Amino acid sequence: MSQFILEMRDICKSFPGVKALDQVSFRVQAGEVHALVGENGAGKSTLMKVLNGVLQANSGTILIDGKPSVFKGTKEAQAHGISLIYQEFNLVNTLSVAENIYLGFLQTGKSGLIYWKTVRKDASDLIGRLGFDFSVREKVQNLSVAEKQLVEIAKALSVNARIIAMDEPTSALTTKEIEKLFEIIRGLKAQGITVIYISHKLDEVFAICDTVTVLRDGHIIDTKNVRDTNHPEIISKMVGRPVEMSYPRRAVAIRDDETVLEARGVACAGFVKDVSFSLKKGEILGIAGLVGSGRTELVEAIFGARSLHAGEILIHGKKVRIRSTADGKGCSMGLVTEDRKETGLALHYSVSDNIVITNLKKISKNLFVDRKLSQEQVGRYVRELGIKTPSARQTVMNLSGGNQQKVVLAKWLFSDVEILIMDEPTRGIDVGAKYEIYLLMNKLVEQGKSIIMISSELPEVLGMSDRVIVINAGRKKGELRGDGMTPEAVMSLAIK
Amino acid sequence: MFGEQGIQYLKANLTKVLRSQGVLLGLVLIIIVASIVEPTFMTVSNILNILRQASAIGIICLGVTFVMMTGGMDLSVGAIVSLCSMVAVVMMNTYGSLPGSTGIVLLAILTVLAIGFAIGVINGLIITAFNGRLGETFIITYGMQIVVASLALLYTGGQFVPGIFAMGLYQQLSMGFVPIICFLSLAAIMHVVLAYTGFGKQISFIGANMDCARMSGIKVSRLRVITYGICGACAGFASIIVTSRVYSASPLQGTGYELEAIAAVVVGGTSQSGGTGGIVNTILGVLVLSVLGNALNVIGVDANAQLLFRGAIIIIAVGLDMWNKMAKQRESTK
Repeated sequence: MSQFILEMRDICKSFPGVKALDQVSFRVQAGEVHALVGENGAGKSTLMKVLNGVLQANSGTILIDGKPSVFKGTKEAQAHGISLIYQEFNLVNTLSVAENIYLGFLQTGKSGLIYWKTVRKDASDLIGRLGFDFSVREKVQNLSVAEKQLVEIAKALSVNARIIAMDEPTSALTTKEIEKLFEIIRGLKAQGITVIYISHKLDEVFAICDTVTVLRDGHIIDTKNVRDTNHPEIISKMVGRPVEMSYPRRAVAIRDDETVLEARGVACAGFVKDVSFSLKKGEILGIAGLVGSGRTELVEAIFGARSLHAGEILIHGKKVRIRSTADGKGCSMGLVTEDRKETGLALHYSVSDNIVITNLKKISKNLFVDRKLSQEQVGRYVRELGIKTPSARQTVMNLSGGNQQKVVLAKWLFSDVEILIMDEPTRGIDVGAKYEIYLLMNKLVEQGKSIIMISSELPEVLGMSDRVIVINAGRKKGELRGDGMTPEAVMSLAIK
Repeated sequence: MFGEQGIQYLKANLTKVLRSQGVLLGLVLIIIVASIVEPTFMTVSNILNILRQASAIGIICLGVTFVMMTGGMDLSVGAIVSLCSMVAVVMMNTYGSLPGSTGIVLLAILTVLAIGFAIGVINGLIITAFNGRLGETFIITYGMQIVVASLALLYTGGQFVPGIFAMGLYQQLSMGFVPIICFLSLAAIMHVVLAYTGFGKQISFIGANMDCARMSGIKVSRLRVITYGICGACAGFASIIVTSRVYSASPLQGTGYELEAIAAVVVGGTSQSGGTGGIVNTILGVLVLSVLGNALNVIGVDANAQLLFRGAIIIIAVGLDMWNKMAKQRESTK
């Protein structure tokens, strides 16, 4: 009898041209919270998809409670008590909480009609078991991200899951919501349910997990008890080299005498009120604040993606009218949006098509797009930014998150912007790629460009910025610089 | 050489070839079968006949392709054909027999182009005012279809208008190679615009991801309005070829053309959600449907049964397209 509830032995999985998993052996003890970490493309998601039957391994065995099991689909995996919660939720927004939990398993009587009373009561019980209390009649679209996650977990419990795997569960959660999620996970653990926790964020791994397994390039690198290891060790195992996890230094690039952008009393109905700030040439200006504080709306209004209801914007000291994103681009601004999949990239288009779209004039000769010129130009940006892709004709969807983000950056550099606004520039990308993005940001300001950076990660915004303004409920609550830039100072302004 | 290697390649990639070149293969298949069953199918006169008949709907399809590339739909093109037919024939009846009739013909063409363009622009302005997506473009242009159809009926009180102008240049527009040349040269221009200019790249990008296009500083609304204008103008121009052929105009002239055009564009492989496809696809789609229609006629299939084939081909083509998409997605997921 094995003490391991789950044992995956020598799992191999290949895709055309890639060996995603190579002799992976992964063991999870009953009742623990087991972290699975690794850079994007390390094979975490593939391993989980093999576990829940979405993908079939080329070779290797899966043992549940020591018994070999084969899953040809998610239903079979579910029958063995395995549930996977994806990063992008599998919920039907227009249906109620109860309907979502029992989707596909709605209890019917002899008449073929659904027993709504039972369904709602069972759903309520599940939500209650997780320590929450809200109406199961509520439509899922009215829930917060954290509550949606709760519904997913309840859904897993409804099919008597014994192993719940969560793929990047905190990527869209606020700090407060993460705390709640941790409480839920502790609750699950107390009920004897095993959790596999997939994440990039090591702080979370150290906060909630018992064991951590590192996956790199399709191989298991190590499994450790969380108590016996530390951040630097795990990071170096993830990237395969020791990493200096501080923020890269840069030569002082700010030219204090040259203001490239100035916002005066900017307002945007319902979101932003009377915000003023300036941006110098060669500066990285951080914008801190909680999710929903109006920071995204502020930069969108400046860029022209939202209408400005009051205030004025000056570029190089000259007043400008910005009424559309085309105007914003015309003022030499570029916006790296917070959601690269929705608004940053056309996922089904190639790397090249995505980059050139901001500045087609640059690759055109007498109205016509010049293919050779385009190849040369795009090739330059792919090399300079270190975008890892087999070719510029590769579909962006097939790149890792970090490389996708570099494509978004490349697209704005391609249009030669002076002011780059970056909203959550490192969300959902792995440690190595984050560091590369930081290096790129430094290089850009050293070249005389200016950057506005929004980030929810305090260390990042403090580590990278020359100056930080804090937005709270749509208003600018303060400006910090030099030694005044401390996490405590930012937080006290952000939640005041 | 189509030697051993070629055959091996085909064997290994048969499904891939079938998937990606299905429409072309289908077209070839129809031609082969038809010419075996009925040798007169492959005569020059019959082929010219097919192309002549395809040219009017083909021109409508070119415009619809532009709109569909942006991820939109235009259901008003049929009604635009009706209205423009009425206007053109009434104009020709009134002034076409006077001296200087060449100028009148040109004036009629310019007038219908302008009417079509204007209706398209109104479509576009309404759609962009509400930031409409595929669903809204459907309903808004459907509403416009009804409005324009009503205008066509009101124009002569619902009366059919026979041509009473002197034969001449106007008739030439549907004879010999003229309509074919009109269609193919317009197709060539629009292909170049769509595939090789910044304008074309931008409207395709809008179809690929409209929000991303907007956030990339593309003038999304302006481009969409222009695209609907172009689509309307194409429909306007098609009315000239139609009325030239039938030498009359009916207020119901273009009824149903919109769906026929959309079907041909989709059969060609331009995606309903926008972003992929193009003019070459559309030419293929138009050819498949018109060659099929003609082949069934020549072979002698009952007219009612022909519809059966037509419907089946459209469904098969869309199925093929979805199959191709799913397979591509499977290949790219890691």
